[in-house]
Amino acid sequence: MRPRLLQNFRGLRALILATGGTGIDGLDTALERLGMVVAHVDLQAAPDLLQNCDVLFADVDLGPDLAAALCPLGQVPATPVIGLIGIEAPSRLKTLMELGATAMIRKPVHVASVYPALFLGINQFRARRDLQARLEEHERRRQGRRFLIKAIVQLMRTHGLSDDEAYDLLRRESMRARQTLEQYCEALLASQLPQPRASVAETPDQNCNHKGKGNHDASNVAA
Amino acid sequence: MPGTSVPIGLLFSSTGPYGVIARAMLNGALLAVEEVNASGQVALETVMRDPGGDLASYRTAAADLLGQGVRQVVGCYTSSSRKEVIPLFEKHDGLLWYPSHYEGFESSGNVIYTGAVPNQHLLPLVDHLLRHHGRHAFCIGSNYLWAWENNRVLREKIVRRGGTILAERYFAVEDTDFDAVIHSIFEAEPAFVFSTLVGASAYHFFRAFRRAAVARGIDQPATIPIASCSLSEPELQAIGGDANDGHLSSSVYFSTILSPENERFVRAYANRFPQGPAVCADAEASYVAVKLLAASIAATGGTDAVAVKQAVRSRRITAPQGDVRIDPDSLHAWLTPRIGRSNRDGKFEVLRENPAPIRPDPYLVWHSPRFDSADAPRHLRVVQ
Repeated sequence: MRPRLLQNFRGLRALILATGGTGIDGLDTALERLGMVVAHVDLQAAPDLLQNCDVLFADVDLGPDLAAALCPLGQVPATPVIGLIGIEAPSRLKTLMELGATAMIRKPVHVASVYPALFLGINQFRARRDLQARLEEHERRRQGRRFLIKAIVQLMRTHGLSDDEAYDLLRRESMRARQTLEQYCEALLASQLPQPRASVAETPDQNCNHKGKGNHDASNVAA
Repeated sequence: MPGTSVPIGLLFSSTGPYGVIARAMLNGALLAVEEVNASGQVALETVMRDPGGDLASYRTAAADLLGQGVRQVVGCYTSSSRKEVIPLFEKHDGLLWYPSHYEGFESSGNVIYTGAVPNQHLLPLVDHLLRHHGRHAFCIGSNYLWAWENNRVLREKIVRRGGTILAERYFAVEDTDFDAVIHSIFEAEPAFVFSTLVGASAYHFFRAFRRAAVARGIDQPATIPIASCSLSEPELQAIGGDANDGHLSSSVYFSTILSPENERFVRAYANRFPQGPAVCADAEASYVAVKLLAASIAATGGTDAVAVKQAVRSRRITAPQGDVRIDPDSLHAWLTPRIGRSNRDGKFEVLRENPAPIRPDPYLVWHSPRFDSADAPRHLRVVQ
């Protein structure tokens, strides 16, 4: 399920990092009208303050210094970034991409563009973060798949089970251990856990319930 | 400024699909202009344009007014017409005085909004409906922004208070065939129908729903009342005598408000415009807009938009509805919500009234949840 849409920005903290000039007149007022708390910041202080704000308005006319300050390791900030654009040359627009901006406002700022930019910027950021978390979870599980295969093969050999029975057993035991299937199999193969008892005939309903709940938990943790 | 007259534009579609309301608005504005001129406060000279409800004509008319040097214009009824002309007002630094209730989510620096926004019309209505009629709503509306936004907010509020939206049906603006949906309403047995239908389409629905109820032996106003945030006195006349009673309307103004100022206003309006249309909320908002405009011009001595805008911030007048002032942050008006129930005379009995004007919250910053409603239907059906 996609994250729910944020529609009311009351009480959120907006940080504005901009060049001087009149291009952003009206931005503060428009944000305050939406109930937000606004602070201006310079390039030096921005990296430290970033984690304490809910959205950053970054003026890409500050040039490459902006990306260097906010994403020194090449990673996009963990805060929604809305780009403020004066010069639309590709070198400036590239900064938008480097910052992972999810919305933009053309300077001079038109008040009617502020709410839509916030709505898109914050919700797109949330959707992207959700997608990234899912990707990471999938990647982690994909890497763990070989432990699952090995564990199934091992159980088939040692317990004389079919592949389906071995899989059911591993799934049930991983639930019991409150681990993902892959983590459980990895630990099992590293002999950190006692070998499971081959009691494949446990109540199927219980298995069913455990399966649903376990998967849900795992995905929550990853999110 | 004795001796000089200040031109003000009046941009109302007196002809066309919503001509009835627009004529009432124009009348309200004209009455105020005449009173202002008689008072000697400032001399206003009206420049009138009728775009006939056509969007392109709104643009032409607004460009024409601004091109002539008219900097203050009172006008527009529909949101689409307002959106059409706002860029021109921003470009030429004019001020549009928008005198109608609308769905909010706008705040142009070149518009003064004297009509009600959802926290002043829809939210009081939802509260009234949940308290007195029940939790299950059937929504029917014209297929455009006004209906979508009102239904979105209604859903948010009703679902949070344990109610349900039984159905949400949309019709083309000119649609007049409601037999199928009326059948669905009787089947669904809602506590009330929430209507965001507009114009002739709405009048057809009110009549057809009443006819169908009578044929079924149902006391419609008592069993399934129709509630809306736009139903006004001229529309009750348009609906007609045997179907115009028992409907609920949320509005900041009804012609039956008991106050010396309103009695004077209603009498003056009736004397000046005996042919109608009947005085209503948007006519009062137009009247209020001109009064605020005149007071601001008088205070600044000119029509420069920046100066007039500065002067109108926090300006306060005693309007027919009561105390009205402009919120300096949003340039929307503080207004007094009321709930009315229509009667056979084509008027509203005021059932409930806020003790004081309430602050406009055009973006529902103080009145909406952080997240959108999780219970919104995934597949809405447009019924042609």
